[in-house]
Amino acid sequence: MSEIISREALLRAVDEWLKQGVPVLGPSRINDAFVAYAPLASSDALALDGYIHPRNSIKEAVFPKHEKIYAYHIKGSGVELEDPERSVAKQIVLAARPCDAAALPILDHVFNWDFKDAFYNARRAATTVVTLACTEHDAQCFCTSVGLGPAAENGSDAMLLPLGDGTFEVRCFTDKGRELFAGKTESSGQAAKVPAGPPERLDVGPITEFLKDSFDNPIWNELTLRCLGCGACAYECPTCHCFDIVDEGNAAGGYRAKNWDSCQFEMFTMHASGHNPRARQAQRQRQRVMHKFSIYPQKFGEVLCTGCGNCTRNCPVSLGILNTLMDLAAHLDTTGAK
Amino acid sequence: MMENVYKPDLMEVIEVKQHTVDVKSVKIKFRDPERAARFSYEVGQFGMFSLFGMGESTFNICSSSNWKDHIEFCFRKTGRVTEAFWQIDEGDTIGFRGPYGNSYPMEEWEGKNLIFIGGGIAMPPIRCAVWYALESREKYGNITVVYGARTTKDLVFEDELDQWAEYKDVRVIRCVDPGGETPEWTYEVGLVPNVLRDAQIPADNTVALVIGPPIMIKFTLPVLDQMGIAPASIYSSLENRMKCGVGKCGRCNCGPVYVCKEGPIFSFEQLSKLPSDF
Repeated sequence: MSEIISREALLRAVDEWLKQGVPVLGPSRINDAFVAYAPLASSDALALDGYIHPRNSIKEAVFPKHEKIYAYHIKGSGVELEDPERSVAKQIVLAARPCDAAALPILDHVFNWDFKDAFYNARRAATTVVTLACTEHDAQCFCTSVGLGPAAENGSDAMLLPLGDGTFEVRCFTDKGRELFAGKTESSGQAAKVPAGPPERLDVGPITEFLKDSFDNPIWNELTLRCLGCGACAYECPTCHCFDIVDEGNAAGGYRAKNWDSCQFEMFTMHASGHNPRARQAQRQRQRVMHKFSIYPQKFGEVLCTGCGNCTRNCPVSLGILNTLMDLAAHLDTTGAK
Repeated sequence: MMENVYKPDLMEVIEVKQHTVDVKSVKIKFRDPERAARFSYEVGQFGMFSLFGMGESTFNICSSSNWKDHIEFCFRKTGRVTEAFWQIDEGDTIGFRGPYGNSYPMEEWEGKNLIFIGGGIAMPPIRCAVWYALESREKYGNITVVYGARTTKDLVFEDELDQWAEYKDVRVIRCVDPGGETPEWTYEVGLVPNVLRDAQIPADNTVALVIGPPIMIKFTLPVLDQMGIAPASIYSSLENRMKCGVGKCGRCNCGPVYVCKEGPIFSFEQLSKLPSDF
C-alpha cells in the first residue's frame, strides 16, 4: 500500500498552506527559459515539470543571501545592540530536487561544529522540505557519482514520486512530513518506480585521493585558465556556504549582516597588507574543488557536493565541478598520477 | 534560543596610544561588568573588533592575559575599518567578539630559553607573550627579543622594549632596515635575519616565535636552522583573512585546517604539513 496525491489535490494544498500564512518556496517559471525556486504567490506559480533543475538552489530558505545579524543604534558615545526578530515562521519548500534537499544535512555540519549558527538552525527547524523525485536528467546531472540519486531521501521530510498519470506517490520520512500531508493523501495500490538516474560519470574516490596531495600541481592552471571569477557557481550551488559580514548603516544606526560570498573573488582572502594567498584564479578554483572533495570530507566526513550540476549549467565558460572532475579524471588516466 | 555568536560585546575605550604615523594601540574594557568577570583568554588568541557602521577587523589581543581589567589591540591604518578606528577616543564604544583560536603553548615553553623575533606591526602579538613570560620570569630561561622595523619611526611599543631590557637575563636587540636609521640611532642597522645571525644568541633548549612579513620569515627560518633550532620549536601566528572567527565563513583555511579554530598559532613543523595557503 502507498499514499498518493493527485496534482489537483497537491495544488489545493499549496493554496491552503498559503492561505494559512505559511510561505511556500517552490520551482516557478520566471520566463520561457528560466525556472527558479521562488516564493509562490499561488499554486498557479508552481512548475512541476518541463525543466531539469531550477537555476538556483533551496539553500536560500535556510541561509538567505542577505541576513541581518543584529541592529545597532548609536546615541552619543553609547551604542545599543538589538537582536533581529529571531522567531522564524514556519515555511515549506515544495518540489525541491533531491540533490538540493541533500545539501541540508551536509550544511548542518559546518553551521554546528563547536560554535552554532542560531540563524541557520532556526530556519532549518522551521522548514519542511518536500522533494520531487527526478524522472529526467541532463548531461550536467551527476548525483549518482556522489552517492545520491533521483529519489535520494537525504534532507527530505517527504517526497513526491510521479506516477506518470498526473498523481504522485507521497512518502513521508519525518514527523514534519507526516504532519504536512496528514489528511491530504489517499491510500492506493500504486507504487512509484524509483526512476533511473544519470549514469555514474566518474569515480570520485581516486580524485579525492589525488586532491590530498595536489596543492602545487600545475594541473590547476591548465584546468581553470578560462575561469572568469564571476562566482555564479557558488551562488547557485546548494552546498556553497561562504559568507561575508558587512555593516549597512550610518553614524546614527544600522545593522550588521551576513552576505553570500564566494571563494572565486580576489578580495575573499586578501590580507590587509595586500598579500593574497589566493591571488590567481587557478588558486581560487583549486580551493573550490578541494573544499568540496578534500577539505570538507576530511573535516566532516561528507563531500560538499550533491551532483546537482548547477555550477556547470550556470557557468559562462562551461567549467563547473563536473567538467573539472572529469578533466581531473582524464589527467589521472593519462598520467597515472596517484 | 541559541546564542547569537555574531553579536559582539560592547567595550569602552579607556586609552588610545599612537605609536607611529599609522599605528595605534587601544585599551578597552567590557561595558558589562558581569561579562568582564566571566571573560578570560590566553596569550596568542585573537578577537573580532568592530566599529558600528564601519565593520569588523581581526586583531590579536596584544595585552597579557594576566591583566584582568582591560584588553588591548593594535592596528595599522590601512583600510576602511582601521581608518575609522584611527578616529576613536577615550569613552567611545566599540564591539568585541572573542577570544577565538588557539594560544601560545606557554606552559610547554616553561624551562626553555625564548627568542622572540618580530618585524614592524608584528610586535603586538609578540608583546603579549613577552609580558606573560616576564610576569612569570622564574619559569623561563633567557629571553631575547629581536625586533626590526623599516625606519626608526616604525617601531611599535618602543618604550616597552626598554622596560623589558631591565629584567634579568633579557636581551633586547632592535634594528632598522639600512637607510631607515637617523644620526641619533644607536642600535643595530640591518635586516632582521642578518641581525639575528650576527647576534650569536645561544640556542640550546630554545623556542623561537617568529612573526612578521612573509619575506622576513622566509629569510629568518634558515638562520634559526643554522642556530640548531628545530622546526617543531619555531612558532608563528598566521594572519589569514577572517570574517566570522568561528569556523563558518569559509576563507581562512589552509587545506583542512581552519586558521580561526585550529590556529592562528602553529609550529613550523605543523606548517610544513599544510598547503602553503597563507
